[in-house]
Amino acid sequence: MSDHAARERKTVSGIDIAPLYTADDVPPAIREALAAGPGRAPYLRGTYPGMYRERPWRIFQLSGFGNPEDECERIKFLLSQGEHGFIMEHDRNTADHLYDVDHPSVVARREDVGLTGAVIMGVRDFETVLDGIPIDKTYSHAGGGVVQHAPFALSCFWTVAKRRGLDLGKLAGTGQSDYFLTYLGCVTKQQIPTRPGLRFNADIIEFCSAHLPRWVPVSIAAYNGADTGLNAYEELGALFANAVEYLDEVRRRGRVPMEVAARGVGGISFRVSMDLFEEIAKLRISRKMWADLLENRYGVTDPRAAQLRIHVVTAGSSMTYAQPLNNIVRGTLMGLAAVLGGVQSLGVSGYDEALSIPSEHAHQMSVRIQQILQHETNLTAVVDPLGGSFYLEKLGAELEERGWAFFEEIQQRGGFLATLDSGWLHEVAHRNQFELMQAREAGGRIVVGETDFTTDISPHEVDGFKGSSDAWERAMQRLEQLRRQRNGKATARALRDLEQTCRGMDNLMPAMMAAVDADATLGEIGAVFREVYGDWATPIRA
Amino acid sequence: MTKRILLAKTALDGHWRGLSMVARALRDAGFEVIMAGMAVDTEIARAAVDEDVDLLGLNVGGRVEIVERIVSAVREQRPGLPVFAGGAIAPWMKKELERQGIEVYPPGSALGEIVAAAQRLTAAG
Repeated sequence: MSDHAARERKTVSGIDIAPLYTADDVPPAIREALAAGPGRAPYLRGTYPGMYRERPWRIFQLSGFGNPEDECERIKFLLSQGEHGFIMEHDRNTADHLYDVDHPSVVARREDVGLTGAVIMGVRDFETVLDGIPIDKTYSHAGGGVVQHAPFALSCFWTVAKRRGLDLGKLAGTGQSDYFLTYLGCVTKQQIPTRPGLRFNADIIEFCSAHLPRWVPVSIAAYNGADTGLNAYEELGALFANAVEYLDEVRRRGRVPMEVAARGVGGISFRVSMDLFEEIAKLRISRKMWADLLENRYGVTDPRAAQLRIHVVTAGSSMTYAQPLNNIVRGTLMGLAAVLGGVQSLGVSGYDEALSIPSEHAHQMSVRIQQILQHETNLTAVVDPLGGSFYLEKLGAELEERGWAFFEEIQQRGGFLATLDSGWLHEVAHRNQFELMQAREAGGRIVVGETDFTTDISPHEVDGFKGSSDAWERAMQRLEQLRRQRNGKATARALRDLEQTCRGMDNLMPAMMAAVDADATLGEIGAVFREVYGDWATPIRA
Repeated sequence: MTKRILLAKTALDGHWRGLSMVARALRDAGFEVIMAGMAVDTEIARAAVDEDVDLLGLNVGGRVEIVERIVSAVREQRPGLPVFAGGAIAPWMKKELERQGIEVYPPGSALGEIVAAAQRLTAAG
């Protein structure tokens, strides 16, 4: 027991924790924010006045693998299990790189194709994935997490909707185009540089503001920064540093009112990991930071913009390889923290996360965890039930102060894009992560089943999901068929128009919509981007 | 003499965190680390020869066939070169790779354990 009592008490971000907190610990600015109540600036106590009493959070899981038909089936399965929306997963080999399946880099790894998402090379594949799914009634994430992939994914999705006769103006869903994923957490072999990426995102924001008012154009996923190693306050500071890059660009162009742009950027995602109070404090204070930022920097106070809408994904990196069923408990705890933080939507990582993409059962379990939280615990009865906790409010104030300091440091280093280009953010994240691992190995951090308590008598073998093995061959056949069947002249013309648009100043999206409608493929569009923009010089030194 | 380790990613999957941690730990332990990144079988085999490495480390983010293709290309050029691997390697795949003489360090392995393995695997040469 002496070991236990002598342990240094800090949050995982390194903030000292006192043994007890009292009313005196809550700073005046936080008291003021608490007094405003939920649904009122600065929204510390909640984005909306009634929160889960009026509407529970959205159960929103990533899903997909293999062939377009496999992904369609998995999405339908999850919707039938009670999911409230779906997130399309695209094969990383092809989608993230904008390669067709016959690209040499893909052919050399053909067995991997389809392992992390379905192979979706054009609008016809999108039609297959979405076949029988009522996209006018569900909330959809078309994919396009990676910046250079987003215009393609969105154009295909919206083209399917148009072909079904749906009104784009009524379509509800979200894009992503995430810099944390693309340039920090999941760096691909080839990617357009960060500056043209910014143009893409600003174009998408403008296009949605004109044509798809209910669609979230871009969604910053600070999750991907956190799971690379940024701690809780760095995640906050970097998130807002990213947001101001987008908003400053939209303001410079001057075509979209700032409150509309800010609403478009204000649907974001965070990671929640196992330091529960720090994570709850982070989610709650992020709403105040967003409202303050908009008011101070842009003079925006319109509630529809100032209400930060938060999606949380529970930390994949907290899921252990050893004794994977323990991860059901971890997913539950992290999900609970997200809910206590007042999120609008939630995805719980699969218990087999460290082994593979989720099996059908792991997926169902992620949905069930959320359903148990929604229906059996009375969690939805009261708005911000932890509001006013001395510890939580003090921790929030501390995260806010440190978060803004990190934001400032990024500004001094030239801004968010500059710190990605230089590799400074990668170094911060990787160094943090390395120190955490060293602390773990020095005995400072117990991970159950992994560092300690390693005996396992579980009768359940969890072997990971294997997926379908014919995804590459079948995609090769589809590609060959498409090239034979389509109107090649129309495709070539649309690709030339796209290249012209890329070289000019017009909005990219109309030319993208025309290109996918003319059956241009992922790889053909990628070739245009590579020709016009070249490659990002990755700063990853690993 | 400083031992040289070639590190590569088998998949076009951009999760660099794990490999970055391993590279840091190995450099701290005095190894020279050569990073091949997202390379294919022929590139990895060529680098293993050109760089005259003592050990190959593979970050696996996909299927077993890719790992097998890489290892067979490498062993053709450098028979007997020890290979170890990490990444999201499911238990059945771990067994399969171990059968082929590849040591596997799945998620959650301690960096100290990986460094010790590198020291042991490079000691013979």
